[in-house]
Amino acid sequence: MGSETIGVHVDRVSKRYTHRVKGEVYAAREVHLDVAPGEFLTLLGPSGCGKTTTLRMIAGFEAPDEGRIRFGGQDVTGLPANQRGIGFVFQNYALFPHLPVAHNVAYGLEVRRVPAAEAASRVAEVLQLVGLAGYEHQFPAQLSGGEQQRVALARAIVIRPRVLLFDEPLSNLDAKLRVQMRTEIRALQRRLAITTVYVTHDQEEAMAVSDRIAVMNQGRVVQEGTAQDLYHRPANEFVATFVGRVNLLPARVVAVHDGGATVECLGTTLRVRAVPPGIRAGEAARLCLRPEAIDVVPIAEGALQATVASHAFLGEKIEYDLRCGEIALHAVRTNAGAGIVMPDGTTVGVRFAEDALALLPGASS
Amino acid sequence: MARPASDVNGPAALRRDPVVTATVVVLWLLLALFVVYPIATLLGRVLFEGGRFSFAGIATVLTDRHQLRAFWNSLLLGSLVGVGGTVLGFLFAFTAARARLPRWLLTAIGAAVLLPLVSPPFTTAIAMIFSFGPRGLVTYELLGLKGVTVYGLASTLSSEIFTYFPIAYLTLRPLLAAIDSNLEGMALSLGASRWRVFRTVTLPLCVPGLANAFLLLFAASLADFATPLILAGNQFPVLPTQAYLQITGMFDLRGGAALSLVLLVPALAVFLLQRYWVSRRFYVTVTGKGAGQTPFDSISPGMRVALLAACALVAAVILYFYALLLYASLVVALGANHTLTLQHYRVIFTEGQKVIFDTLIIAGIAMPLGGLYGIVLGYLVTRKTFAGRRTMEMVSMMNYALPGTIVGIAYLIAFNDPPIELAGTALIIIACYVFRYGPTGIRATVALLQQIDKSLEEASQGLGAGSGTTFRRVTLPLIMPAFFAGLGVVFIRSMTAISATIFLVSISWSLITVKILENMTELSLGPAAAFSVLVVVIVFIVIALIGRVLRAFRAPGAAQVTSMLGG
Repeated sequence: MGSETIGVHVDRVSKRYTHRVKGEVYAAREVHLDVAPGEFLTLLGPSGCGKTTTLRMIAGFEAPDEGRIRFGGQDVTGLPANQRGIGFVFQNYALFPHLPVAHNVAYGLEVRRVPAAEAASRVAEVLQLVGLAGYEHQFPAQLSGGEQQRVALARAIVIRPRVLLFDEPLSNLDAKLRVQMRTEIRALQRRLAITTVYVTHDQEEAMAVSDRIAVMNQGRVVQEGTAQDLYHRPANEFVATFVGRVNLLPARVVAVHDGGATVECLGTTLRVRAVPPGIRAGEAARLCLRPEAIDVVPIAEGALQATVASHAFLGEKIEYDLRCGEIALHAVRTNAGAGIVMPDGTTVGVRFAEDALALLPGASS
Repeated sequence: MARPASDVNGPAALRRDPVVTATVVVLWLLLALFVVYPIATLLGRVLFEGGRFSFAGIATVLTDRHQLRAFWNSLLLGSLVGVGGTVLGFLFAFTAARARLPRWLLTAIGAAVLLPLVSPPFTTAIAMIFSFGPRGLVTYELLGLKGVTVYGLASTLSSEIFTYFPIAYLTLRPLLAAIDSNLEGMALSLGASRWRVFRTVTLPLCVPGLANAFLLLFAASLADFATPLILAGNQFPVLPTQAYLQITGMFDLRGGAALSLVLLVPALAVFLLQRYWVSRRFYVTVTGKGAGQTPFDSISPGMRVALLAACALVAAVILYFYALLLYASLVVALGANHTLTLQHYRVIFTEGQKVIFDTLIIAGIAMPLGGLYGIVLGYLVTRKTFAGRRTMEMVSMMNYALPGTIVGIAYLIAFNDPPIELAGTALIIIACYVFRYGPTGIRATVALLQQIDKSLEEASQGLGAGSGTTFRRVTLPLIMPAFFAGLGVVFIRSMTAISATIFLVSISWSLITVKILENMTELSLGPAAAFSVLVVVIVFIVIALIGRVLRAFRAPGAAQVTSMLGG
């Protein structure tokens, strides 16, 4: 479908507003993003981090106070939303309640004065694509949440937008449907190869759909990268704790060498491959230890000893709260079969998969 | 997500939108001319003497014992109507919401309650005289009493309660329906008796609604002009009638104006209380959607029968009043000669033909203008940002909130002389109706727009539509119900109102309601009854037509206007 595939460039964009109590607040601060043509970029962050504001500025619903926004080579900063050629999917879908499905989808085509015959065939085609053929005459209120979501998607892509924008599109759906819809959105985006910016606060959703993720906090982009980059090489504590779960342990850097560092942690020496720049030998640091990187084994096989404070059996996995001296460790083990659960109070051995370790600068707070 | 306060329709974007700017300017000019200017003129006339500020005009009223009595009488009557009407309204609302009535019975209650709201203001008053007057059906024919006087507090009070309790019903019913029945179920499951649940859960949740209903009824009674004019008599003077008599009887425009201004104080107090105090104390949000239906019987079977019986009794009285009115219009002289005749209708369609046409022309012109005014102003103040937006909304509500007597006298004073001389024209009456009843359409538009998420307009914009196309294709269809609701109210009130326009009629342009009043004072009760029946019939036809149009707009999921009466 798509016409020309272009990139989106958000160039040091800021947006301020006046808060009744706090005074002037930055909703977005020097946000810089380069979305490659056809790329799927997700803005991930907690509520209030500026991700929706950034998206709405890309859409043209809000104007930045500073910075420029470019679509391909074209500066669109001053262009209103209706001249940007975007497809926008709202959190609440924003379907026109007085129009049946076919007219909702055809709306953007009618505005563009696409000939009726062509519009009809494109509407039929796109409804087929999202699995809603036969729903043409239904009204939005007669549809389920998932169906409304598909109509919103169809309405956004039928106009062959240059850029597709999603604002937390799945947050009103139940968990199962959310997983299904995100797979469909991803597949559709691949197929149409439309440059896409997607906003969510759900890190799993972000990892499932994106080529690349930009994590935002307090108006700024704090790290950009693929899901694996963010997970395995977090740039700071915020990213480490926001993307996935993590044990942050106090550590001392013994030596820094090519492709890693040696650190002392929990009384043992560990080799860490993921080391951010600026780490120097002799300094305090923090070790990021993902719960699934902690292996819970019989005492003899462990590098360290720990006690099981509590555990939860969750079917496919078992979660442990361990005490290793003063330090609390959270561990997750895949269920490999019956009879492997360690009861509370047991002393167990633990060992770490060194590939899964990452280092953050600075002492733990 | 924290979103910045400004948006695409922000001030910067707006200044470049000439259509919006022009509309705002035109609206301000109209509001200045038809709302601000008359009230300012009235205030000036009363409070300034020879170019100097002076309280003499008001002082004259406040020191005159007769006028002072009228003031206290007005407050007394208002309070009693407030209490009585709220009780009756609550009875109906509670029965309708909790007694698990079959559908047809609910419809019947709705119709019985609607009747007084859409009738000319003195229909119950006339029926009271037919029933309890010197030759009344009940007092004279049935009980054989002679020399009874119907005039005074008792008859005025009961007539006003029957006329205005539907307002309380309409306020309380949605509130009761919106109370989550799980709250009552919870209290019951904790061991409370039904009576205790009612006393400790249901009633406390209704308190703000009850206060609101009381204030609305108080204001309605305070502003009521027609009922006391017919029923209060010399023994029980009230302010609006005194103001009217001062002007028409004694040709004392300034004195009448001063009297009406005294009325302003309690009216304003009630308005402010209602808007800024009661409205912030609601525990229950009325969304228009009913809460899930009662999973248990919140009232006992015996109580259900008692409630139904009470409602049926009230409904029977109302229906009796209207049946009596119809009967009176069809007999030679009620109480004296009960021979059936169409004589009275012949009279109103020959001698009264001009006044019927006048009224229909005025209502017909005011109707679309009022509807348009309502949606345009309502849309601008909710969806656009411009300097003085809040002020515009408040000013637009003024003529609606003020008692009709004040508005009428203000128009009379303002437009009687140059520079703007409108007295004797149809325009002055039309303007009065548009700016006094159009605000119902504004309220409906604002309420509808608040239900419509702004993302709908953004979605349209995102799909490539400009602001004009977005308004025409998305916003307008969604607020059409408000247009028709506003239209309906303006028409109904144009047919039935009297308090303001009695000061504005002339030989060239008169109104049915004024004619009914003339008939009453000339004791030609037959034609008065016939006129009243005619108005009720016309209003019901129009309501049915508008109801049909509204249903056509009720696309599934589209926001709805809950009540087209509005007040």
